[in-house]
Amino acid sequence: MRADEDLELARRCREGDAAAFETVYRAHAGRLFGLLTRMTGSAHDAEDLLQDVFVQAHRKLALFRGDSSLGTWLYRLAVNLCLDHLRGKHSRMARSTDSLDAEDAAEPAAAAPALPEAISRIDLERAIAQLPAGCRAAFVLHDVEGLDHREVGEALGISEGTSKSQVHKARMKLRALLRGVPRGALEAV
Amino acid sequence: MNDDRLLTCERLVESLDDYLDDQLDARTRDAVDAHLAGCPACPGLVADVRAIRRTAHALGPVEPPAHVWTELQSRLPLVADVTPSLLGRLGLSFSGWRMLQPLGAVASLVLVVSSLAWVGTRLAVAPIPVAGSGALAEFQVAEAEYTDAIARLQEAADAAGPRLDALTNATLRSSIDDIDSAIGDAREALMREPGDALSQESLLDALGSKVALLQDTVTLAGDIGPGTEVQNP
Repeated sequence: MRADEDLELARRCREGDAAAFETVYRAHAGRLFGLLTRMTGSAHDAEDLLQDVFVQAHRKLALFRGDSSLGTWLYRLAVNLCLDHLRGKHSRMARSTDSLDAEDAAEPAAAAPALPEAISRIDLERAIAQLPAGCRAAFVLHDVEGLDHREVGEALGISEGTSKSQVHKARMKLRALLRGVPRGALEAV
Repeated sequence: MNDDRLLTCERLVESLDDYLDDQLDARTRDAVDAHLAGCPACPGLVADVRAIRRTAHALGPVEPPAHVWTELQSRLPLVADVTPSLLGRLGLSFSGWRMLQPLGAVASLVLVVSSLAWVGTRLAVAPIPVAGSGALAEFQVAEAEYTDAIARLQEAADAAGPRLDALTNATLRSSIDDIDSAIGDAREALMREPGDALSQESLLDALGSKVALLQDTVTLAGDIGPGTEVQNP
């Protein structure tokens, strides 16, 4: 049973079993690094944060009781650390979302060539990194990570309605970014 | 009134997410469908946003560079020694700390300062809770282990202090003051709400930081010999 495996891994980690901790790292680092890279828009920041997540995890394993999976526990830890980082970097998430409101007031549907049906994941990753921090976080949590707007709002400290608004603005901005740049060219940015 | 059939492009944009999430009432959805059937621009918008959502949802894990794990490993031994389960081991012998180099201790000090900043932030924001209810007994055990370790380390650290240069000593004392302040804040929060998981975590973070710093104080002074080993009661 998965929960038992998680508890056993956590117990071994607490007792200083380096192999167990590496198992935890190998199993979860990819998902967490993807989350952190997209949330911060910076692979360098994400590398530092990923280390911080696992350092904190190592210290906090005494508090892991298996109420959720180890993956979920680490995910929450990563989201919290990442949001602390973003708040420190941008003072307040609200400020960045406010500035976004002014920046992208309206986005009518323009008559221009549509995006290819299959968007390059690399182009999308590059475009996400160019989003303003506020709507990027909401977009990543909602459209990539699959949180609903209530959960996004709780995580970011914004209302459900603001989450909807920010995700919408992010999609519109992504569309503009992806349409404005030739396919594949964002990789060179 | 039949104005839904006169849906504008702007109103479609406003309704787009609910449309794609199938959250519109039937009348509004019909109006959107009718607009899409006659508008030269909006079908492209709908297709684009669908493609963005689909691609975003399919974005997978991103493997971190190998050096991240290497660097992380170099940070873990310092941290491992402050986890509650290892504190008992720490009480049996300090021999492992003989291997710590001053550089490692400085790195630990940086970590402590970073942790303090993190603790302060955590006390000020509303995070996603990591621990749920019912953890009070476990928290109390962990707190007792930390507190016991601090009591045993404090004496050795006090003796080691005079052997350090004035600047290092002042830096360590200042860091201890900051940690004590964080401990005080967390305990104050716990007085108001004893079961609050965030405050519990913050207190354990701060206590763990203090243990690490006291250990580093002893290590920096080179005061870790057989005569100073700390034994379990």
